[in-house]
Amino acid sequence: MQRIKRNLVLLVSSLLLLLIWQAGSMLLDSQILLPGIPPVVHALRTLIAQPPFAHNILATALRALQSFLIIVFSATVVGVLAGRYDYVSIALRPFVTTVKAIPVMSIILLAFIWFSSGTVPLFSAFLMGFPVMYVQIEMGVRQLDHNLEEMCSLYDFRFSDKLVHFVIPSMTSWFIAGSRTALSMVWKVVIAAEVLTVPQYGVGARMQLAQVQLQTDLVLSWTLIAILLTAVGDLLFDALVLCCARLKRLLDARGVPCSSSR
Amino acid sequence: MQFLEISKRYGHNVVFDHFSLDIPPQTILSVVGPSGEGKTTLLQMAAGLLEPDGGRISKESSEEGSVSYLFQESRLLGSCTVYANVELALRSSHTSVAERQSIALHYLQMVGLSDSLGLYPAQLSGGMRQRVAIARAFAHPANLMLLDEPFQSLDIKLKFSLVAAFLNLWEERPRTTLFVTHDPKEALMLGDAVCCLGDPKQPLWYQKIDIPRNARNISDANMLAWEAVLVNTLVNA
Repeated sequence: MQRIKRNLVLLVSSLLLLLIWQAGSMLLDSQILLPGIPPVVHALRTLIAQPPFAHNILATALRALQSFLIIVFSATVVGVLAGRYDYVSIALRPFVTTVKAIPVMSIILLAFIWFSSGTVPLFSAFLMGFPVMYVQIEMGVRQLDHNLEEMCSLYDFRFSDKLVHFVIPSMTSWFIAGSRTALSMVWKVVIAAEVLTVPQYGVGARMQLAQVQLQTDLVLSWTLIAILLTAVGDLLFDALVLCCARLKRLLDARGVPCSSSR
Repeated sequence: MQFLEISKRYGHNVVFDHFSLDIPPQTILSVVGPSGEGKTTLLQMAAGLLEPDGGRISKESSEEGSVSYLFQESRLLGSCTVYANVELALRSSHTSVAERQSIALHYLQMVGLSDSLGLYPAQLSGGMRQRVAIARAFAHPANLMLLDEPFQSLDIKLKFSLVAAFLNLWEERPRTTLFVTHDPKEALMLGDAVCCLGDPKQPLWYQKIDIPRNARNISDANMLAWEAVLVNTLVNA
């Protein structure tokens, strides 16, 4: 019942948003300033039917995925080291503080001077996403329960057991929080970088071209696609987390002799 | 195990000053005392987590090596099942999976948790969690057992049931045990001897309890008299 109510509220608020959009479009009465819902839907259908559509989506998705994986791997390694060793954390503090304070556009523009247009989204997304993930991992390592650590040492836990059954589970919530935030950020930065650098394929590049030609319906269509990509990315990530949790429970249950879970 | 002329201080606070204490093998020594008088320090030194500033701790050869430590809180791994929490404490000493399984199941059955093997700590009550901790402590192959107020903050019924579970396991395979508690009754019911801390140089009170554990009754005249002395010593410490 609670779930139905929640979904109903969500549906009503979404419809309200569309209504405001349509009302705004009718009030302004200008297809350049704000086209209504029907022309945007039509533009969207035309876009999807065209062959480069998949190329554009794939190019953006691949850039986002690449940046995300680089962030996750590097921030995890560096975050663990910083959480464990104070001098690593201190050494990285100026870098992290600087990167956190630099505006996204400055990073993209600088990257555009230094690299080719294909590399700029990757580099910019990495610089923006890395500190978010790194801070979470560092915090996670620092927040490890010292009492449990002491217990593991008193009961002679092997290093691998301590890692698998204590460290990794304790870090999971920090890892998920960091990854989720980094992933949302990566989509935004990759598309923003594509807008500025206009690579051959990419959602941001198409958006920029549509804007130059004052095709607002196309700009809004690509924006809707970008929102959809972010939402699908988040959904896939949540599904992956859920799958991992279920797999762990399954493995746990298989490891219990004559399991009798309630 | 013997504490021989040990000294330990934290800044200006002298906790032990050439303090000696003897715990005969396979007996339980109950240690009571006011807060801040070194009960946990004594346990940590016995576990090797803390080094005395002076003196030494002598252990029988069988007591050397690993220890079983029962903490105030259960300290279970939240992501592991009841069974895994016990079985993990056996991995460094038993390579055979079947052997580990048999030992873990035995101790979990002894504490009445054989129906809860697949549950996670968050699904257990406080008493059940402490039972898992007791099973883990006994399953771990150590001949020295250190108990840091493990029955504290439990209701009286639960406390009695856990103490019974503990004694049941201990009688099955007695180990040299140092049992720290705030509760004089608990100390007298469990210990082969009771020691009251409060003076850095020597125990304020030391009493051997020569009544067999299963024949002890807290309303027994001797027990009542010892309890009165112990309470009096604690109040005046």
